[in-house]
Amino acid sequence: MREQADLAITAAVAVLTCVAAILGAPIPVTAVLGIVLLAGPGYLLGQLLFGSRIAGLERLAVFTGLALCVPILGGLALAAAGLALHRTAWLGLLAGTTLVSDLILFFRRRSGRVASFSWRQEGKGLPTRHVVTLGVALAIVIAALGLARAGAALQSYPGFTQLWLAHPNANAATANLGVGNYEGRTTRYLLVLLRNGHEVASWNLTLANGQSWHQSPVFSAHIAANLYKLPDVVHRYRYVTIGSDGGASS
Amino acid sequence: VAGLAVVDASLDWPGTKGGRHAAATGFNLPVGVVTVCAAIGVLVIALAYTAGRLGYASSPWADGTYWLGQALILVPAAVRLFARRALSASEVVTIVTVLTVAEYLATVCYSPAGFTFADELEHWRSTVNVLQTGRLLTPNYLLPISPRYPGLEEVASALASVTGLSVFTVGLIIAGVAHLLFVWVLYLLFREFSGSYRIAGIAVLCYASNSHFASFDSMFIYQTLALPFLGLTLLAAWRLTAGERTGPRVSWLIFAVLAIAVTVVTHHVTSYVLAATLLVVTLAALLMRNWHTAAWVGGLTLLSAATAASWLAFAAPQTWTYLQPIAVGTLRSLQALFAASHSGGSSALGGPLGNRVLSAGTVLIVSALLPVGWWQVWRTHRHQLWIVAMAIVSVGWYVIVAARFTVADGTELAGRAATFIFVPAAFIVALALAHLVGAGVRGLVRVVAVSAPAVVLLLMFDGLANGWPPYWERLPGAYQVAGSERSVGPEEIAAARWTLAALGPGNRFATDAGSYSVLGSYGDQNPLQNVAYLYTSRVFTSTDAAQAQTQALRYVWVDQRLSQSLPAAGQYFPIDPNAGKYTHPLPEADLDKFNTTRGVARIYDGGNIVIYELAGP
Repeated sequence: MREQADLAITAAVAVLTCVAAILGAPIPVTAVLGIVLLAGPGYLLGQLLFGSRIAGLERLAVFTGLALCVPILGGLALAAAGLALHRTAWLGLLAGTTLVSDLILFFRRRSGRVASFSWRQEGKGLPTRHVVTLGVALAIVIAALGLARAGAALQSYPGFTQLWLAHPNANAATANLGVGNYEGRTTRYLLVLLRNGHEVASWNLTLANGQSWHQSPVFSAHIAANLYKLPDVVHRYRYVTIGSDGGASS
Repeated sequence: VAGLAVVDASLDWPGTKGGRHAAATGFNLPVGVVTVCAAIGVLVIALAYTAGRLGYASSPWADGTYWLGQALILVPAAVRLFARRALSASEVVTIVTVLTVAEYLATVCYSPAGFTFADELEHWRSTVNVLQTGRLLTPNYLLPISPRYPGLEEVASALASVTGLSVFTVGLIIAGVAHLLFVWVLYLLFREFSGSYRIAGIAVLCYASNSHFASFDSMFIYQTLALPFLGLTLLAAWRLTAGERTGPRVSWLIFAVLAIAVTVVTHHVTSYVLAATLLVVTLAALLMRNWHTAAWVGGLTLLSAATAASWLAFAAPQTWTYLQPIAVGTLRSLQALFAASHSGGSSALGGPLGNRVLSAGTVLIVSALLPVGWWQVWRTHRHQLWIVAMAIVSVGWYVIVAARFTVADGTELAGRAATFIFVPAAFIVALALAHLVGAGVRGLVRVVAVSAPAVVLLLMFDGLANGWPPYWERLPGAYQVAGSERSVGPEEIAAARWTLAALGPGNRFATDAGSYSVLGSYGDQNPLQNVAYLYTSRVFTSTDAAQAQTQALRYVWVDQRLSQSLPAAGQYFPIDPNAGKYTHPLPEADLDKFNTTRGVARIYDGGNIVIYELAGP
């Protein structure tokens, strides 16, 4: 059984990835399984094509190349067959390629045409000092990526508020009026809707950061909206207008 | 078999005994130290980037910190590769891998939360389209040719689908793996050709000095994925001609066919370069009467040319329309070059003095080293046809240097060509350096040999200084008017997302250069390039309206900050007749005129960004 351990592992990963997808497993689980599932066919096809005739870096490069070939050429085949390239199709392609390759490799090994799997053949362990060095380097790099992410999160941008009044579909009876708050804090607004320069409706809005507000007022030829950032009701903060020739009156 | 160099594990420094040479540096850095130094270098660069984001993007010390980080990555690697002590093959591979991974992680640290580079945003859009629709041919208005070469998007959508990770995360994984794979394949090819893993390592180091190595060639772009398959095809061709047994030969042939197919469906130019490269090797084999190699590589040449032509004819006929302007521009530039009439100023001549000095120094050094390398090829490798082919193609380096310094858009052209031309050029330069360092030469040349690590480092720092991001965006920071990555921020992304949600995809938009890729990617809109006329006049005239109608323009995106700063890249718009000529920002009145134009609706107000809807036909 040890001689087929690699086949058992790749087959198990293929099945587990499909099960994890069906059960809606958390992303850390599907991420690890998915990456192994993508790499699996490369290893198996490499074993089928080259067996142990290539080694070291060349083996790693060829197996990686084969792993990338499967979704590229397989995806084209699926698309040509008219299948939509959603999760099911990709899982089917990768898991299917893995299981079929496993089977072929299994029978070829049993017939002696391909060398059996051996842990020793797959590579010797690294010396302890190299493992320690790599561990230190990895820790520093993780800290660097964490610092970069933290720096990006800490970067301050000026806050802003969106006001919109759109009527992209000429046949629609209503317009799309909305406000989005990205000021970085909860903000209070006064929104005034105007028709032909006359106020027809107003709303007092309190929006949390990232929150937006929508309305669908009846569309008419001259429609506008003024937004005030409270408590200032004198200077309009934002304005939008459709059908007028000088902007909404303040 | 002619052309086959057997890799001898004892062969470290060619021309020396016991793996030692007279001239190289006496430093004996353990590879572990190189690895940890590189990791610290990435950390220091992340520190510099964080300083930039916190408001110190223009600070000299933040800039100095960035270069300190780069030095920590590059110097130990170069010193170890040129060191007196013998190197094992695994040590060379480790150094090459550490260097590549460290530079890639430094690139990741620049935009650690999402793609900001224009080309990456184009492929992000294509991938999102595949994920949303399940179809490969969904339009991408920003890069219409992209869905016709879907290799990158297929891998990305497959990985995103089965892992549940974001497109950004899988994009980083795929680009990183593809980039490292390309470097490994380069190393393998160089090692096979030269028979020395030390020369292979130095050649990779020289290749890493090309200005696109740490940027375009390692980003989430279709060329990044196609490059390793170009290399893998050449590796398979080499193995096919290496006189091995029939069994492996069939395997390598199958592998070569797969690699060619992947290259063709992933990136147009790379597939043409692959066919051209195989053709050069075939011709070299014919010239050297190596019929065996000519037959195998000639067959692969025909296969790659036929596959690329078939894909062009039946799957991606738009490629010609896409590449034609670039090809015509290149031809005109080359005609101007050979007619000795400069067609325009090149940005290679701009930038800080230090960058220009580095650039000039690199040109002089490589120009001097290439003939030395050719001499080495003639002396010791003239029967090895792959090396002869590399020597022939490396002449192209002088053409791209001439283009860089003398023709309009020469830097862009030279940068893109460098990805390919640098492969043979780096190898020939490495042969030259190995000869100078290892041959126990005397006198002045010996001085040059002693400074070999410094020479390679100079090349690498030039690649970084004159590569991407440009010097004016070396560090990430506050919003930059009509810039690149620094023009992609929350306000622009929110406005672009609003256009998709409220207006639907594919609307024809006018916008500035800074917002162009954000609008086309996050907004899935169709931004036009030739729109400067809308922003550079006090009044929206009937002529402007007629031109806008001819372009079927529906919306105008106006960023009020165009009136506050000069453009970082010298131009406000993707096609800008006044590029490089602006002496003051655009007048506010030129941007505000739509507020008082009859029939123009002001449909979005985000403070800095206002969107207008033009009157329909």
